[in-house]
Amino acid sequence: MIKVSVNGEIKELKENISVKDMLNFLDYRSKTFAVAINTTFVSIKKYEDTIIKDGDEIDILAPVQGG
Amino acid sequence: MSNEKWEIGGKTLDSRLLIGSALYPSPANMEDAIKVSQSQIVTVALRRQAAGDNGGQDFWNIIKSLGIHVLPNTAGSHSAQEAITTAQMAREVFGTNWIKLEVIGDQYNLQPDPFETVKAAEVLIKDGFEVFPYTTDDLVVTKRLADVGCKIIMPWGSPIGSGKGLMNPDNLKAIRTQFPDLNLVVDAGIGKPSDAAKAMELGYDGVLLNSAIALAQDPVKMADAFRLAIEGGRLGYQAGTMIQREFASPSTPTVGTPFWHQFKD
Repeated sequence: MIKVSVNGEIKELKENISVKDMLNFLDYRSKTFAVAINTTFVSIKKYEDTIIKDGDEIDILAPVQGG
Repeated sequence: MSNEKWEIGGKTLDSRLLIGSALYPSPANMEDAIKVSQSQIVTVALRRQAAGDNGGQDFWNIIKSLGIHVLPNTAGSHSAQEAITTAQMAREVFGTNWIKLEVIGDQYNLQPDPFETVKAAEVLIKDGFEVFPYTTDDLVVTKRLADVGCKIIMPWGSPIGSGKGLMNPDNLKAIRTQFPDLNLVVDAGIGKPSDAAKAMELGYDGVLLNSAIALAQDPVKMADAFRLAIEGGRLGYQAGTMIQREFASPSTPTVGTPFWHQFKD
């Protein structure tokens, strides 16, 4: 298992898990969000090929009100 | 609404009011205020979302239903890299290459960091973004942003959410005078409709505001007030204001004044 931070919360994931599988595992079903790992954007096209590593800091952002 | 159209970020618009979507008493109130404002650009943001939380989707559905242009911001960024990443995420989520670039350099007054803002703007423009940089009313920073390719600059009126209006109208005027071809929008610090009118009278192309409408006692009515003030300010600018005089000058003809007499020492 690996430990990562998802939106600031520590989560345990299986090793060699892709972003796509992580999102399914964590139950992110809304279509409207975007992902960054260690402050680097990961596009939808790269979800399958991007493997999460131990210690990664993952941000999953969705639309909110803004000024 | 006046019939005059203008262009910004490759779009032709009627309204010169760019409106924020935050701080309203309710989503319905936000929706009504945006509609009454007749604004055609609404700002939005990105924040962390918990799994199973559909709040973001609900908000996004309301915004989409308005059918107006969306301007995502990079609010909360404290470095060029954070702003660049947020912009890239926003492009994917909102489906637009427009980005309100906001890199904060000081937490006390939320003053933009000009160095990081210029750095981020250069990278984002090369990456195909239409950058709307939020900056101070500094002429040199404006020049640097224009140098890296910004066609739109958004100097502050005063700190975000302060409602203090235009702190340095002379600085804003100098920017307008020196950069007649840039799209200039006063962003932040607007408190009253008269502040927006004044920005327009200075020759600014538009005004971006949020708190002044959302935190009014009646946001919908205030949205209408800002719509009218911005139109009035624009018309006033176009009409050309009179030249100020040091002394009084009667407006009523003096010829034929009854009971006329010369003052005697």
